[in-house]
Amino acid sequence: MAGMTPANERLSMLMSCYLDGALMPNELDEVVEALEHDETTIAEFRRLQEIRRTLRMLPMLDIPLYLLPGEHLGEQLSAYLDGELITMEMPAVLAHLDSCTECRRELGELDRSRTAVRALPGLETPEFLEVHRAAAKHAKRGMRTAVAVASGIAAVTIAFTLGPFSSEPEPTAVSIVDLQSRHTAIASVPSSGFGVQVSNAP
Amino acid sequence: MTSLRRTVFVGTTALLMMASFTNVVSASELDDVLKEARDSTYTASRLVVSVWGDQTQVSREFVERADGMEMVRKDTSWSMTGNGKTVSMGDEPAGITFLAHQRDISTSRYTIVRRGKVSHMSRPCQIVEVMEGDILRASFIVDDRSGALLLQELYAENGDLYRRTTLSDFRAYRTYEAPSGGSEVPTEVVMSEDSVLLPDTIAGYQLVDAFSAPGGSEQGFYTDGLFRFSLFFLGGNTVVSGFEDSMTFVTETGLYEMVPTAQAVRLYWRDGSNRYVLVGDLPPDHVADVLSELPIPRSRGMWSRWWSLLFG
Repeated sequence: MAGMTPANERLSMLMSCYLDGALMPNELDEVVEALEHDETTIAEFRRLQEIRRTLRMLPMLDIPLYLLPGEHLGEQLSAYLDGELITMEMPAVLAHLDSCTECRRELGELDRSRTAVRALPGLETPEFLEVHRAAAKHAKRGMRTAVAVASGIAAVTIAFTLGPFSSEPEPTAVSIVDLQSRHTAIASVPSSGFGVQVSNAP
Repeated sequence: MTSLRRTVFVGTTALLMMASFTNVVSASELDDVLKEARDSTYTASRLVVSVWGDQTQVSREFVERADGMEMVRKDTSWSMTGNGKTVSMGDEPAGITFLAHQRDISTSRYTIVRRGKVSHMSRPCQIVEVMEGDILRASFIVDDRSGALLLQELYAENGDLYRRTTLSDFRAYRTYEAPSGGSEVPTEVVMSEDSVLLPDTIAGYQLVDAFSAPGGSEQGFYTDGLFRFSLFFLGGNTVVSGFEDSMTFVTETGLYEMVPTAQAVRLYWRDGSNRYVLVGDLPPDHVADVLSELPIPRSRGMWSRWWSLLFG
């Protein structure tokens, strides 16, 4: 910082230590006194805070394991199957698959397991997703009624046959305190922007 | 004619004088106000009083803010929250970190007005009001030196004050030594993910992030830029504890189990086989608006109950 006096420089250094939580008690008094009474010091303090926040937000620069010699593709295989590889990654992944029988075998297994999962029956859709399908539902109502009656009869028959052997799955217990702490944690994330517009005051 | 001109002149002068005391603030300036409040550094006693119907909730705690984190100490336990993390140290130490994505929001229902300077607790401050159309939604007293919100008042649509937060024993820029043991707390890390179950908008609130939650459930985090809530979409086999002594919240869409706290409201209901929990700081009329756009409370049908009874 050009043009800083030794006193300012010392204060700036103290504020850095303050942000690191590394001040001695008498130094803390000095910083607090300056922050309480000097606008320039407050501005400098906020600048230092901003720099530190920016540094914290920088992404970690890890080298992907599959680019290292001797490493297998691992999670990149899922990304490959999902079409989520970025353009730069594709040649490296394809080159590795070309030369690595183990990764080719793993890719084949992963693909087969996904096909099997896709073939499973779907889960019940929540009601508010069904709103757009209301018209289609209406048309099929007659058919559904017949199916429901048949299903009901089948269910009762199966129930009397298999009922004694079935066991209820363990319910998952969730505490509202836990859910609220999850909300509180997310709510503490610095927002990316508030949608507030300018208008004339009443 | 002269008399009319004089009246117009006097009226104009009066309006100009009023305008000089009431400055409309731009959106970026509001961002600055809230950002500075979040980043402010202080220690204080915080008193929160909330009123829901005929129930009043009060919480008093010693808080310390620094670097976007807030620490609350109670007896031998403490909790720290900020930047998407919570760590609590007590009988059952636990921590959770959200790797949030937070989409930009585009709602624009609030305007901000600065009402001028004021001295509060012998400190130079300013009054900032948040308006939703003609409705006063929030009033803040902002400390000039630290940016902290020394007083926050939140209002319902009918003008009733429903939450008041005050700081006392306020010491700007004072911090205490961080408690030890935080790094040893077992921490769950939750990644942001796309959701197919949660609506993108609910009554003016926008979905800015979604996460998986306990029991195979989903959590959607919504905000309108000022208030925030989480909607938990729970599977049918999830049991939620904490609503045993709930009160009933009645809206046009049905009856909901509600547990208000000083800081937030918690609601629980079920729609056939699905269960929902809503937690947030939104005003009562916003709660009703949000619930009107979500699945309504409904008990399970006879066949559904039979099926569960027989097969689980």
